Amino acid sequence: MILMAGNTYNIYKPLRATLEEVIEESPLIKTFVLIPDEEFVFKTGQFIELAVDGVGEAPFTPSSSPLVTDRLEVTVMKTGYVTGIMHELKPGAVMGIRGPYGRGYPVSEFKGKEVLILGGGCGLAPIRSLLFALEHMKDDLEKVILCYGSKTPADCIYKPLFSRLNSIDKFEAHRTVDITDDDWDGPVGVATKLLDDVKVKIDNSVAVVCGPPIMMKYGTFKLLEMGYRDEQIYLSMEKNMSCGLGKCGHCMMGEFFVCKDGPVFTYNEIKHNPEIWK
Amino acid sequence: MYYISIKKEDWHRSLEKLLASHDIFVPVKDEYSLDYEPFRLNQAENIAYNTPKPSTPLKNFFLPVRENVTSAGNGGRPRIIIGAPNCDVEALGLLDEIYLDEAFTDPFYRNRRKSTILVSSDCFSVNDHCHCTSYGVKPYTMEGADIALLSEGDYIFLRVISDKGEELVRQLSSVAGVNDPERLLFADQRHRETEALLAERNKGLPGYKETGEIVQKAGDQIWVKYASKCVSCGACTTICPTCSCFLLIDKPDFEKVKQMDACQYPGFERVAGGADALFELPHRFRNRYMCKYVWRPQKFNSLACTGCGRCIEACIGKINKNELFMELT
Repeated sequence: MILMAGNTYNIYKPLRATLEEVIEESPLIKTFVLIPDEEFVFKTGQFIELAVDGVGEAPFTPSSSPLVTDRLEVTVMKTGYVTGIMHELKPGAVMGIRGPYGRGYPVSEFKGKEVLILGGGCGLAPIRSLLFALEHMKDDLEKVILCYGSKTPADCIYKPLFSRLNSIDKFEAHRTVDITDDDWDGPVGVATKLLDDVKVKIDNSVAVVCGPPIMMKYGTFKLLEMGYRDEQIYLSMEKNMSCGLGKCGHCMMGEFFVCKDGPVFTYNEIKHNPEIWK
Repeated sequence: MYYISIKKEDWHRSLEKLLASHDIFVPVKDEYSLDYEPFRLNQAENIAYNTPKPSTPLKNFFLPVRENVTSAGNGGRPRIIIGAPNCDVEALGLLDEIYLDEAFTDPFYRNRRKSTILVSSDCFSVNDHCHCTSYGVKPYTMEGADIALLSEGDYIFLRVISDKGEELVRQLSSVAGVNDPERLLFADQRHRETEALLAERNKGLPGYKETGEIVQKAGDQIWVKYASKCVSCGACTTICPTCSCFLLIDKPDFEKVKQMDACQYPGFERVAGGADALFELPHRFRNRYMCKYVWRPQKFNSLACTGCGRCIEACIGKINKNELFMELT
């Protein structure tokens, strides 16, 4: 038993961060721009526990660039109790951050490859952070393709991101919506349908999937159908990550603590567990 | 590792002196139960040494039911915990792996472990549902505690296991080394007797690894059947020496309260969006078995069930996990 090893700080204590700006992304989604009291370093795909003082905390993957350490952006969909109160917060509010936690995207392993990203809904938040990281290393990449779907055109977050991505060399971004409106003249249908038209060299490619559970499931199946191997597919799993420390047990997915062993897994690592899509 | 002997009255008097610097807990038996109580010299005759299983699992000394984990905690006064059975000592292995994990060491757990001297007690008898040996756990402690205790007549024999144990022995008065191996024959005899009792009582019960295999293969039917008597009260997890899941509760000024939780409670895995992998009671019920016999063994080196049998005794639905396993075998 090694009683002296390990950290000396209190793992449960949050770092304080001041809310600088609240950006409305869609009717249900806001981005919170935070200035942490100390430099905050994270790897893209890792997550944090963001706390509203005295109310509760919830896990989010930052949507900002991992290269920026003096501010942090977190995109939050109004879903439950804590996020409901978060959405009421105004600039100047002090929030709590614990983390970063877990295993993010292994971007250095993407070098020399084509990266196909499938995203849906608020799943674009972690993906935006990943895109910043990939943009930074674009000289080492072959190609980056984003296929994204939202329920309606209004539900699409970071709208200016798409035109910007399409202007970057080696990057292309495609959008679809489930339900169209009068102004929409793009593709209609689920995000996985966009995969039919992308051109990738599957052998030299990795795929990243992040979105609602139903999209993760059928997106993975579609990628497998296209010829992706299990170990080429990276999934960002969503569970009740409560402590973030691999202890409290709320995010167990089979033998894994999603908060510590994930949240990013290859399909190969978790496919033996039939309950991953629950 | 070596043995020392001390007269029972000297042992108790030494403990009395140590109360000046330590909190001391001993197993005390009354007409209802056996459980830890603070040591008091005038009640020394009620201490039940070498009797299996205090009602409270050892984990509760290191993982309180509820505590503020943002206020400074230094582990409090040094403690001597006397009388833990080996099933509970073994269970600390898993808690250590989780709470002393190098990436995220829990400072409260670590301080309590550091400031505790653990004096385990070899079991000279067994309770109805004791089945440690089925899972490869001895009913006596050779490692994991600082000292193991054996009471024989007017004497207490202490098997000194760790440096911390040795330090405690130095503070006891009238201690004698045990150089004559004949004086320890009773210990071997007692160990063998207890093991024989356990073997007899648990004949046919599958071992730990085999249990994992049958649990993993089991179809829905068995979980539905046994879960029909489960009311999700969480007694089995609360009383389990290895169950250590918890909930973090936010308080004003970014304080956090950590409270023991149980996968048997509804909503344990529910996410804000509403998805809940353990919504159905049979799924929750199965989750505990999968966790103990399949998933924890895939990730950790320590046992996630040490065969103490408390979950069987605590269940108000009278669910006996060993009957379930025998049915699957």
